[in-house]
Amino acid sequence: MTTGPSGVGIGWRSEIAGFVAGLPGLRFVEVVAEAVAPAGPLPDGLAELRGRGVTVVPHGVKLSLGGAEPVDPARVAHLAGVATALDAPLVSEHIAFVRAGGLEAGHLLPLPRSREAVAAVVANVRRAQAELPVPLALEPIAALFDWPDDELDEADFLTEILDATGALLLLDVANVHANARNRGGDPAALLDRLPLDRIAYVHVAGGAEQGGFYHDTHTDPVPAEVLDLVRELCGRRRPPALLLERDGHYPPAAELRGELDALAAASGYPVVT
Amino acid sequence: MTGEDLAARQAELVAALVAGGPLPAGFAPAPVEAARRALLRKRAGDVARHWPLLAAGLGDAWPATFAGWAAGRPTNGSLRDGWDLARELRDQGTLPSLGAEELAVREAASRYDGRGAPRPRRLPAVARAGGAVAAQLAGRVRLLRPAPR
Repeated sequence: MTTGPSGVGIGWRSEIAGFVAGLPGLRFVEVVAEAVAPAGPLPDGLAELRGRGVTVVPHGVKLSLGGAEPVDPARVAHLAGVATALDAPLVSEHIAFVRAGGLEAGHLLPLPRSREAVAAVVANVRRAQAELPVPLALEPIAALFDWPDDELDEADFLTEILDATGALLLLDVANVHANARNRGGDPAALLDRLPLDRIAYVHVAGGAEQGGFYHDTHTDPVPAEVLDLVRELCGRRRPPALLLERDGHYPPAAELRGELDALAAASGYPVVT
Repeated sequence: MTGEDLAARQAELVAALVAGGPLPAGFAPAPVEAARRALLRKRAGDVARHWPLLAAGLGDAWPATFAGWAAGRPTNGSLRDGWDLARELRDQGTLPSLGAEELAVREAASRYDGRGAPRPRRLPAVARAGGAVAAQLAGRVRLLRPAPR
């Protein structure tokens, strides 16, 4: 098994495989688990990174761990197979649901912050953990709206899920910013109340204002407010690794290198470019 | 809220976001509407990755064209969504040349009944879309005639 995530990483996507392969200091990437076939050959660029000893973490987006129905065993088996194929030290997924009533939402949707929702997530996380060969890290999502019947605040909701499952935390700093901007609350105060010692790694991504909301697009530059939050987090307890997510509208290489360097500067980790 | 309640309420929320269902009780309308629009934009990007020529042919009109077609229509996956949209534009006579060529090539390569997953054709086939003609022989697909520009 490869070592856990460390330093500054980037989300591997086939469109930027050449750019990622050319990063000399890179020790850690993430790949969307659903984009990898465990039985088939790995995509060329990923195989090369694995050959260099770069840690590759499978990141699931369609398990729907927050669904009221039991998680689909075939999807869990796929994630487990990808983890094995990549020799990954851990896998990650979201505290969210993506389908219900036979319909696909097409993206991650928030849960009510209720005891019942906690119970549903915990049950599904335990089902997944029973089949996964490696630890699972859970990522809180960005959402534009709240459910009307929240019983817990964000910190208590997340901490209850992590405590009951023993899962690691994948903290997305851009999501913390987006939620504070769109749903209210103080992002730094949330950092004070989360179990930062449970963080496996951190996501950082860009977004944009549109229609009175901040959208966590992954297709725009990382705003200064998100980098400020990275510094706030590292000042409290520096996580072992931070990963830049970019999912489209790929900028010129120099611009992407600049974002990775800014992440290194904000966290104090070595530059990877 | 019981587990069954949670399932029903999750289903109501997804229906409101992707299938034109009513806003579930108690939710703030503006943020849910913003999420509905954001889902359409994300879906447009996903379909554009599967149908790059269709999206490129529509250019700046792609996001609005896709959103207009997809609103209230749950996804069948990006491949089928793009296919269904391309056929609808073809039938309306508004399919751009690049999209017509992409559709002709796909129709020659696979059989798609509009209800299930497209299947590779076993027999040789010729397909036409918006003036473009594509042929498939032994699994190899060629564009025989481009769509008129």
